[in-house]
Amino acid sequence: MTRRLGYVFLLVAAACTENATAPGACPNFCPSDSIAIKDTIYTTIIDRDSSFLGYVPAYQAEAMTAADVPGVVDSRAFFTTDTVLDRVTPKVGDTTTVAKTMDSLRVRFVIVRRPQNTTNLRLRLYRLPVALDSASTFLTLDPAFTAAPVDSLNINDLLALPAIGDTQTIRLWGDSIRVDAAGHVLQIHSIDSTLAVYFNLDSLHAPFSVADTGRSAWGVRVAADSFASVTLGTTESGSNAPLARWFYHYTIPDTASATPDTVAQKDKTVPNRFDSFVFEPPNPSLDSNLTVGGAPSARTLLRVAMPAALRDSVDVVRATLILVPVNAVPGVPSDSFKIEAHPVLTDLGAKSPTATSVAGTTFIHIGSADTVKIELTNLVRSWALDTTLTTAFILGQVPEAASYTEIRFYSSRTPAFRPALHVTYVKRFRFGNP
Amino acid sequence: MKTVFRVGVLVTVFLAAQPPNPLTAQDSQFGIRGLGTPGKWESVRARTTGGAFGPFDAFSPLTDAVLADVRRMSASVTNGTSWRSVDANGTQSSLKGTRFPAMVIAGPVTPRIVVGGGFSTYLDRSFGVVIQDTIDLRGVQQPITDEITSDGAIADLRLAVAARLSSRLALGVGLHRITGSTRVIAKRTFADSLNYRTTTARDEVAYGATGGSASLLFDIRSDLRVAGWFRSDSKLRADVGGRTASENDLPLTYGTGVQWRAGARAAIAGTVMWRNWGSVHSLPNAHDTFNWSLGGEIGSPASPFRLGLRGGQLPFGVGKAPSEVGYSAGLGRQFSGGRGRLDIGIERLQRTGAGLTERVWTVLLGLTVRP
Repeated sequence: MTRRLGYVFLLVAAACTENATAPGACPNFCPSDSIAIKDTIYTTIIDRDSSFLGYVPAYQAEAMTAADVPGVVDSRAFFTTDTVLDRVTPKVGDTTTVAKTMDSLRVRFVIVRRPQNTTNLRLRLYRLPVALDSASTFLTLDPAFTAAPVDSLNINDLLALPAIGDTQTIRLWGDSIRVDAAGHVLQIHSIDSTLAVYFNLDSLHAPFSVADTGRSAWGVRVAADSFASVTLGTTESGSNAPLARWFYHYTIPDTASATPDTVAQKDKTVPNRFDSFVFEPPNPSLDSNLTVGGAPSARTLLRVAMPAALRDSVDVVRATLILVPVNAVPGVPSDSFKIEAHPVLTDLGAKSPTATSVAGTTFIHIGSADTVKIELTNLVRSWALDTTLTTAFILGQVPEAASYTEIRFYSSRTPAFRPALHVTYVKRFRFGNP
Repeated sequence: MKTVFRVGVLVTVFLAAQPPNPLTAQDSQFGIRGLGTPGKWESVRARTTGGAFGPFDAFSPLTDAVLADVRRMSASVTNGTSWRSVDANGTQSSLKGTRFPAMVIAGPVTPRIVVGGGFSTYLDRSFGVVIQDTIDLRGVQQPITDEITSDGAIADLRLAVAARLSSRLALGVGLHRITGSTRVIAKRTFADSLNYRTTTARDEVAYGATGGSASLLFDIRSDLRVAGWFRSDSKLRADVGGRTASENDLPLTYGTGVQWRAGARAAIAGTVMWRNWGSVHSLPNAHDTFNWSLGGEIGSPASPFRLGLRGGQLPFGVGKAPSEVGYSAGLGRQFSGGRGRLDIGIERLQRTGAGLTERVWTVLLGLTVRP
């Protein structure tokens, strides 16, 4: 009997699972209330919106743009290197030095973004005066950039060449390369498809300047059949920085025997002192509209007066920021860029600290004047639930100050096209009613 | 047998220790649009006779007067597992649930007065519906899925006194506290989950009401017994977050039954019961109900076999009141010299209303101990 009882109760315990959910046969066999959804465009809750300039200058950007779009922009990138000593201590412990003989220079640029379909895309290399700094402008550098280029390479031609992947090449370069007849090298990065291009300059094209303590400055312009624009890595981007590498030799005098002197072949990669880009025409100054992007970068602060209807008793399922551009962004399609919205932690105006988290993002397409929409669902949900949060956010370009591109939106000063928030929310379900 | 007895006591204590919330009866889709699905105030013994033995079984919380038959401190608990198939306009679904619909504990305080109590399900409110639809959102047809679930029940806590006024007449009265809660969730998911966040609303609805009942038991002859009962309850209040969301009238309940014993090894009984659910004015589809039952028990008192038949109506449904027909059978087995009794049974119910048919198989298990 004990065993039977045990079996019975085990059976009951095993049966203790629930499945009470069935397809609803509405309205007769469903709860009287239903989940009610509302969709509202709040056209006046974004106010006190402003733009501020100067967050990131061009020389602190993580990329720099070289472009030549007639009637739109002419943008030129450059960098200058640190000092290179012209003498070397031949042996450890020697108190005397010997002169270096500079044989050649290799200059590298990494193209992080380029137009995919343009043809005859060329980079032209210019030697610039070494006194480059943040005060350098398009006009001050124009003579150097309009002189004859030191060298030029055709990216499309290099890409069309077969890759050289023998073991010796792999040992020296780490990956396969493409080399044209002039000795230009192109290497496709295996991870992110960036292109590293190398100019090989002999001592005639790249004379070592003792007067400049070995410093050198190099700039590039871009040309193509159309849509001539490339984005290059900078020192701030880390491994994509432009590089100059000197190849030299020197003689080690042999004073201990009758054997001839030894010639040492060496090379040195020179640290960068400065890199940036200049463009013409410059970005127009700020006006009553909302500006995002450009160099130096502009950001836009938007403050939201959360309506009481969105507090506490509703559940926001989607919130979309609507911005109307003043006009289409001119330029090359491949210079389309991303803008991000970051929540403001404390509203201090232009210097408001922002959260590192991204509340929303969208892509601005060059040449398109379409209304821009940014999804801000999580941000607005948090505002609806937490009244201590600052209901403001800042729009910025990503990466900042890396390009001539900027977009301008109508502000709340233009009532017909002012920023709006499109909110879809679910009203509180009325529980407790049959 | 001592071991069996101990097991029985332990199981009874365990089951009795369950909180009132899950002590719910069978669910029904017919109750979703109303206050719920009325519970069956019957032990396994009464239920396997179609409910006909309810007013004559001390461990069925239907009437109070029958407690006068309890000679020793006793406790009984009922468990039921149901498999329910629902056909809603051709849409089939299978559901399952395990419930503890009733518990009674009673004992004499004097030779003529017995005090008892326990709980039973007044209304079951456990259900879940999934609704799939397409709505226009921002000019785009957006498929959505709503899932609205309610988990819980409204329990009837009873304190009753029965007195045997004479050898043929017993009278009982009871006080009822109707209480319980349901955890309710309304969830909507969007097919476009990239842009639309799932929304979920959760709450707890607390219910409360009070009631009173009276009943009598009269032995016309030594083998013929009749019973009558009456019950009235206050308004049922539903509170959400401390705020009253709704108030609904609860019905008057009255009924009568007769039982005939054909010797010591057979008995048959029948009952009829009315409840004026139609008085719940705030609900448009509430109906007065009439329920009947017929059942019998044969065999020795130590191990009887039971059969039953029931019919009647459910209180909530579109158009006319949904009907319910049920068949049941079961066995009882005493152990430990009559100190314990195990009842098992099976019940088949069919509920039919406008647009919906439910078929339910329920396996019942009851345990009664007399320490």
